[in-house]
Amino acid sequence: MRVLVVEDEALLSRQLATALGEAGYAVDCAEDGEKADFMGQTEGYDAVVLDLGLPKIDGLTLLRRWREQGLSVPVVVLTARGAWHEKVQGIDGGADDYVSKPFRMEELLARLRALIRRSGGQANPLLRSGALSLDPRSARVTKDGVPVKLTGHEFRVLSYLMHQQGRVVSQSELTEHIYAQDFDRDSNTVEVFVARLRRKLGASCIETVRGLGYRMEGSS
Amino acid sequence: MKRTSALRSRLVVGSVLWAVGLIAVSNVVILGLVLHRYPGWTVHLGAMSVAGIGLLVAGLVQLRSILAPFRQLQSRLSSVRDGREQRIEGAYPTEVGPLVDDLNALLDHRARLVERAISRAGDLAHGLKTPLAVLGQEAERLTAAGQYEPAAIIGAQVERMRRQIDYHLAQARAAASGATLGASCAVLASAEGLSRTLERLYVERGVSIRYDVPRAHCVRVQREDLDEMLGNLLDNACKWARSRVSMESGDLAGRTTILVDDDGPGLPVELRERVLQRGVRADEAAPGSGFGLAIVRDLAELHEGSISLEASPLGGVRARLVLPSCTSASTS
Repeated sequence: MRVLVVEDEALLSRQLATALGEAGYAVDCAEDGEKADFMGQTEGYDAVVLDLGLPKIDGLTLLRRWREQGLSVPVVVLTARGAWHEKVQGIDGGADDYVSKPFRMEELLARLRALIRRSGGQANPLLRSGALSLDPRSARVTKDGVPVKLTGHEFRVLSYLMHQQGRVVSQSELTEHIYAQDFDRDSNTVEVFVARLRRKLGASCIETVRGLGYRMEGSS
Repeated sequence: MKRTSALRSRLVVGSVLWAVGLIAVSNVVILGLVLHRYPGWTVHLGAMSVAGIGLLVAGLVQLRSILAPFRQLQSRLSSVRDGREQRIEGAYPTEVGPLVDDLNALLDHRARLVERAISRAGDLAHGLKTPLAVLGQEAERLTAAGQYEPAAIIGAQVERMRRQIDYHLAQARAAASGATLGASCAVLASAEGLSRTLERLYVERGVSIRYDVPRAHCVRVQREDLDEMLGNLLDNACKWARSRVSMESGDLAGRTTILVDDDGPGLPVELRERVLQRGVRADEAAPGSGFGLAIVRDLAELHEGSISLEASPLGGVRARLVLPSCTSASTS
C-alpha cells in the first residue's frame, strides 16, 4: 500500500513518513499543493494524508480539483483547522476523513487503515484468504493461526493483493502500489517477492493469471 | 440612500402656516371686538377663525414631522443593536442622510474589524497547532524508545495546550460574533451539513443520524457558531450512541429549541451538570477534548441561550439547546 503525505512542515512530514513506513506503507512526501497535485495525478496512491494550509495551492482547492477530475483516491485531511464548519467544508470538498492537529499517530493510522480497507470493498478489518489472515492493524500475517515473518516489501505485495481479493492485479499496478517514488524500481523484483511469498505461504496462495497478473481468492 | 423632502423646507412651510394662522386668529379676535354689533359679519368671522385654526394645526403637524426621521432612526438603530438588521435602512431627509451614511460606514468598519480579529485569533491558534503536532509525535517517539517520563510530561502538556487553544479560540470567535450584528442562520442548513460530515466520520461505527427540522426554523446566531454548538452536541451523541442519533427542533414564543438524542448508555443525573462545566468530562477515557460541552455552554450563553442535559426517550442522553429565534412566523 502506497501513501502520499502532503504536509509543508518538514519535521511533521518526516515524522509521518517514518510512522507510516514503520506501519508497512510505502510513503511519498509533497511539501506544497502544486507538487502534490502532480504526484496525485501521475502516481497510483492507495491513500493521501492532506494538510489544508499549503503553499501554492491550498489543500481544499486541491481536493476539490481532484474530485472534479474524478480522482477518487481516499483522502484523510490532517489540519490545524478543527472547527466544525471547517470539518463540514472538508468533507463536502471530498475528504473521506478528517483529523485535527495535534493528533495521535495511532488514531491517524487506524483511520487510514479503515479507509484503505473500505476503498478496497473489504468490510472486515481482518483480511482472510484461505488459511491466510492478514491484520493491517498490527501488520501481522498468520497461516493456520501460526505467525509468518515477512519483509516490508513482501508484506506490501501480500497486503495489496489481499485488499484487492478476487481481482486480477497486473504486475505494473502492483509495482506502483508497493514502492515509494524515489525507490529504484524493477518489475522483476515483484516476481521475486511473489515467489518468496509462495515459498513462505504455500504455492497456491497467489494465483498467476497468464499475461494479466496475479490474483488471490477471497474468503468464502 | 433614499432622500425625503428636506427639513429646512418643512420648517419654512410649517412656520409660514403657523404665522398665517396666528395672524388670522388674532384678526378674528380684534375684528370680533370691533364688529360684534354688526351681525352680518359674524359669518365671515366664523369662516376666518376656522381657517385660522386650520392653518395653526397644519403648521404644528408640519413642524412635528421634522422629528419623525429622528424617531425612525432611533427605532432602526435599536433593531440593528438587537440583531434584526445589519444596517440602517429607510428614507431620510437631506440633513439626516449624511448622519445615517456615517453610521452605516461605522457599522461596516466595525464588522470588518471584528472579522479581522477573528481571523487573527484563528491564525494564531492554527499556527500553534502544527508545532504542537510535531511535539506530540516526538513524545510518542520517546515512549517507543522507552523514555516514558519525559514522553508523558510532553504528551500531557501538548494535550493541555491543545485544549486551551480550542477553548479560547471558540471563546474569541463567539465573543466576536456575539458582537456581529444581524446574525441569523437556518437550523436545517447546519443540520444537513453536520449530519453528512458526522456520518462520514463515524462510518466505521455505523451510526445513523436522523433529523427532523422544519425549513423555516432559524436562530439569531452565526452559522459558524451554530455549527460549533450542534457539531459538538452531535459528535458527543455519535461517540456514545449504539447506532442511532436523532435531532429535532421546535419554535415557540421567540425561542428555538433543538433536541439532540442518542441511544447510548446515558449519563447519571449527578454528572449532567458537571460535564457542562469547563474542563470536566464524564469519562476521562472517552475520545475527544472534553471541552466540547463547555464550549457549547459558553456559546449558548453568549447568544442568550441555554444548554441542558436530560434522559433521552432513545435511552441515552438528550441535549436541549435553546436559542433566540428569528423565525418570522412562529410555528411549532
